[in-house]
Amino acid sequence: MTEVEPVATQVQEKPVRKGPRGKVRIHATWCKGCTICVEFCPTNVLAMHPSGRHPIVVAEEKCTACHFCDTHCPDLAIVVRKLN
Amino acid sequence: MVDHILEAHHLTKQEAQIPPEDWFEANETLQKLRKHKKFPTIWCSGCGLGVVMGALIRAIDHLGLDNDQVALVAGIGCTARMPVYMDFNTLHTTHGRALAFATGLKIARPDMKVIAIMGDGDALAIGGNHFIHAARRNIGITALVVNNSIYGMTGGQYSPTTPVGMRATTAPYGNVEPPFPICDLAMAAGASYVARSTAFHALELDKYLSEAIANDGFSLVEAVSYCHTTYGRINKLGTAADMMRALKDTSIPKASYDKLSPEEQQANTKIVRGVLQRKNRPEYTQIYNLLVEQQTQREEIRPRNTGRR
Repeated sequence: MTEVEPVATQVQEKPVRKGPRGKVRIHATWCKGCTICVEFCPTNVLAMHPSGRHPIVVAEEKCTACHFCDTHCPDLAIVVRKLN
Repeated sequence: MVDHILEAHHLTKQEAQIPPEDWFEANETLQKLRKHKKFPTIWCSGCGLGVVMGALIRAIDHLGLDNDQVALVAGIGCTARMPVYMDFNTLHTTHGRALAFATGLKIARPDMKVIAIMGDGDALAIGGNHFIHAARRNIGITALVVNNSIYGMTGGQYSPTTPVGMRATTAPYGNVEPPFPICDLAMAAGASYVARSTAFHALELDKYLSEAIANDGFSLVEAVSYCHTTYGRINKLGTAADMMRALKDTSIPKASYDKLSPEEQQANTKIVRGVLQRKNRPEYTQIYNLLVEQQTQREEIRPRNTGRR
């Protein structure tokens, strides 16, 4: 199998919004690496692992707990917890 | 797990562990999954079916139903693998007959919330007859039809919902048959609740699903999904994420559809999502049970007319 290139995250310098923060947990063995969460994350919290097989959290502090990755993960491999 | 598998997947030992106990407790969606079932699911990477499954679990969870109160009935196909991963009463039936089995189950146990999960080919081609008659009777079943416009599991043959001009393995020069409008069919047949949403609008989908399950009569929820492995590959529609984005771009809410002029509505090719029909009709099992009660309460049993005096 050819090595999958890591999906480059778009570099956008947006001010980090105030509001609820979330903690993202990824269970890598349930993940099949479809990159939906990485492509749709509005604040670029997630990026693909260099292997291209599963995402990793790269910018934990940017998460706004919008629950997009949580609700749209086809393998239910992501859990987002809202922090106070 | 064996070291070479971990190495192949570039996982650390901690990442590869069986989900810890608090993984299931962390999220209400995960609580209704079968903990001891083998995950990941059998579906292709990025398939919209997983999103629909999550929406269904959230909808049941939102209504506060007990696991034993819900029965999931499924036929054959990719979609019909869905109940396997969920912790409810489940029934895996023959191709297209999910609604037929669900009708029997609903009559035997009218207190149960019966949900029939079908793909587009399962519901409309093989089980098309059951579909229109379940809607005609208005029996209290929730039909969840996941529409991916193709027969995915068998290798990409065109299905009753493949749009005209789109390719499939059995239509290499484009499909010439007009597709079935699933919601219009159910509305015409007399379903009491009809709604449509897409896999991209997952939160909207679980709102409609919870309304449909709470509804007494026959309710249909069409979840427009995608198949990037066969349909997307043959028609060059891109990856799963691209097709997910396309669902967002090619759908309009019903409120904005209603504002269009009749000519624009005619020319509209976008997916209209929203609640399309809400009707108050008597539910089948209630009428049936009432009839049984009336007949058993009769004191006199009418003698059969044998022809003799």
